[in-house]
Amino acid sequence: MLRLIVRKEMLGNLYNYKFSIIIILSTILILASIFVMYRDYCLTMENYEILQQESEAIAIIRPTPLAIFAKGLDENLCRSYERGSSGKIGVSRKQQSVNNLFKLFTAPDLLYIIKVILSLCAMLFAFDIVSGEKETGTLRQSLSNRLKRPILIIGKWIGGFISFILPFFVVVLLGTILVTLSPMVDINAQNWAKLGLFLLSSVIYLAIFFSLGLLISCLTHRSSTSLIISLFLWATLVFLIPNLGNILARQLVQIPTVQQLELKREQSWIKQLFEIGRLDGSQRRELVKRNTIENDKLTEDYRNRFNRLVTVSQNITRFSPAAAFTFLATDIMGTGMAEERRLKRAVLQYLKDRDDKMLDYQRSSVKEVLGQGGLSNCLILILFNTLFFASSYVVFLRYDVR
Amino acid sequence: MLKAIISREFLNNILNLRFMMGLILCVIITVVCIIILAHDYQQEMADYNLRVNMQDEFLSNYAHRERLFWMINPQKPPERFRPLIIGIPGKENLESFDDNPLPILFSPLDFLFIVTIIMSLLAILFSYDAITGERQSGTLRLVVSNSIPRTKILFGKLVGGTAGLLIPFILSLLVGALYISVNPAIQWDGSAWAEFLLLTLASSTFITLFYLLGLMVSTFSRYSAASILNCLFLWILLILVIPNMCPYISAQLYRIPSIKETERLDDEISRAYIELFRQREKEVVKKFAGDYGKLFSEFESMEFGGVLDEVEPKHRKAAQQRAAADPEFKAMMNAFRNELKQTLIPIWRIKAEQTNKLWEDLNTKAASQTKLAKNLACISPFVNFVYVARDLTGTGLRSLDYFENTKEEYGKQFWPYVEKKIQDAEKKDPTFTWDSFLDISDRPRFVFKEEALKDKLNEVLPYWGILVLFNVVFFAAAFAGFMRYDVR
Repeated sequence: MLRLIVRKEMLGNLYNYKFSIIIILSTILILASIFVMYRDYCLTMENYEILQQESEAIAIIRPTPLAIFAKGLDENLCRSYERGSSGKIGVSRKQQSVNNLFKLFTAPDLLYIIKVILSLCAMLFAFDIVSGEKETGTLRQSLSNRLKRPILIIGKWIGGFISFILPFFVVVLLGTILVTLSPMVDINAQNWAKLGLFLLSSVIYLAIFFSLGLLISCLTHRSSTSLIISLFLWATLVFLIPNLGNILARQLVQIPTVQQLELKREQSWIKQLFEIGRLDGSQRRELVKRNTIENDKLTEDYRNRFNRLVTVSQNITRFSPAAAFTFLATDIMGTGMAEERRLKRAVLQYLKDRDDKMLDYQRSSVKEVLGQGGLSNCLILILFNTLFFASSYVVFLRYDVR
Repeated sequence: MLKAIISREFLNNILNLRFMMGLILCVIITVVCIIILAHDYQQEMADYNLRVNMQDEFLSNYAHRERLFWMINPQKPPERFRPLIIGIPGKENLESFDDNPLPILFSPLDFLFIVTIIMSLLAILFSYDAITGERQSGTLRLVVSNSIPRTKILFGKLVGGTAGLLIPFILSLLVGALYISVNPAIQWDGSAWAEFLLLTLASSTFITLFYLLGLMVSTFSRYSAASILNCLFLWILLILVIPNMCPYISAQLYRIPSIKETERLDDEISRAYIELFRQREKEVVKKFAGDYGKLFSEFESMEFGGVLDEVEPKHRKAAQQRAAADPEFKAMMNAFRNELKQTLIPIWRIKAEQTNKLWEDLNTKAASQTKLAKNLACISPFVNFVYVARDLTGTGLRSLDYFENTKEEYGKQFWPYVEKKIQDAEKKDPTFTWDSFLDISDRPRFVFKEEALKDKLNEVLPYWGILVLFNVVFFAAAFAGFMRYDVR
């Protein structure tokens, strides 16, 4: 019976106008996104080759081809790090920094398409699964037979989700194959594993919105009401909570601006140069030592506060599956917050060790990503999924089909 | 009759679930957002004041010619519209090792987000079934069977629908405005309130545009289910896809030189000129050694008293004492310094011209790329609204340029003042060097003045015009669709 319901649901979707429009939209967007981000990756690689000629750099990280799918903080990571004056670490300007328009808009990568657009599509697929059938009267007819409610709801979920996710998989696969054919893109076994994990987490993430759509459908009796609630919840989970969490965290953790920190460092350096010319040998050494201690203290205090800010912000935004997915996906692809922190730590350690060779930095492996908080983000996504599906299951058991 | 249609449409909307949800969401988010951002503004203002005081105190103790350029960097105050809209981060935030990368992953919540995402979505939800819904329920047939012209029905739907839509929006803005006006930390003058009013008008134009988009799609659809799907399809394209794609497409269509390559060329030019300076310095030293003989040798043994390079304090002191005791020595020192200036300054100028040309080339090409991206993105009303709202409130790309220009203007006042101060100091003390303390306590202070509203309006009117044009086009299309609509 379950098989029959799954088949019916899939066929029902296949002949639906909704299915056609969502498939056309996602196909165009995914292919356009992969193409645009591939071209962007080529530009980043060109810039990387220029940066490599820099003799004074202590670290230059090679752009990852996975940034085509989830750019995240790759632009930040791929700057060159240099030893600046008075222990300060200089970073090169990002190539995109001259075009201010980049500051206004988000990178249209696959992560963005999945996080924002496909999550909406998943909800649009599911919002009328139950309420729509109730309106047309077919739900009453189905349940008047020997069909059990649990079988019906599970069948509907499986059939609906498969018909939504299959075309997505085919298009992403097509885009990935096209990109990997290019000689510019070198995806090794580790990267393939990461890409696989990314797609798996995307499926879990989209399943959350599908289950949520189903839950709303089970809670309402009219598909128009279900649609309105779905759209509001989607906007809240995808935009509102992550964006609000970002500004809310700043209220909870007091942190000076980067300008203030940079000004203090700049002044300390100038003061040292100014005073050094007026002192003799031993006094000079004493002054440099004192200033270094002061600067280190200042920087350490700022970095501690900043790390606290990031942790608080991450904890608040994790209430949204979109934020948990962003953290997980970017961390898997090696373009996330965890990678950024890891790189900065490596640069600081390198400066402490005073090594003469350039820093040899490798992005985190899959195992490391899962250990650095990836697993907890993954668990959050699974928890959301279980919660929404279990709720819709329970609600449907008591649903009034008349 | 028009009044009856409007009031019917309005009542229909406000008794609907979507109105209640819209009202609650809009008021709560707007007010919470304004309260949080106002607190943020206070913190940033305190940080700005601290930075200005730090700079003043530092200059009163350590101002010296060689590094004055780095010490005098004017500080940018937080934008006065910060309680509503978060400005674009300046380069100092993005070029630091300790920058905050979180906003790259999640753009912060502000008024722009509320209008562009929440309100546009709400507008579509209000209008997607304005025609199809009535057709499906059969009321449209009844209304049209009377002697009411279709134009009136459509116009009534537009007015009644937008009124129901704009009520939660205006209400939440009024609460926000009240909070801003009673908050002692936020001092808005008349021009700020005028900008606020214009911002509300521009937002209303944007929201109406999406209402009309929904209405237009509704007049071309038979069923509400199809209408909402088409509306959302267009909404995704206009709000979520086109704006984000355009900067990337423009970067690929119009290439600009690498920043790092430009920096390297700049370094190469600087290195070549430093070598030239050293050579010319040697020539001047040789000439003076010939002209002044023993006296100059004595000066050379004091390592030129710091006139050429940084020296130990004992040499500087010795030169100072010697100049104070011997007028001939003092005259020689002054002549040496003047000769150096006359020789080196023209070379500096040529070097500066060459490096400036290099950066100008990069900046011109970058500006062309930005312009291309801006023009490409104009096909989305979202982008036009963002330009209007940001440029009107001084939180956009234009404000970054405006601040740089203000800094430049200040530089034109400040550097001649410094030159004069240095000349006076050199007259008083012949051993005055690049790193001697310079008293600039009576310097002109940098005061940031908001750009005139007239100039801002000149900039935003074309984009606002495009928004109005979108409104007209959507209404005309809705009108054409409705005139031929089969109401059965």
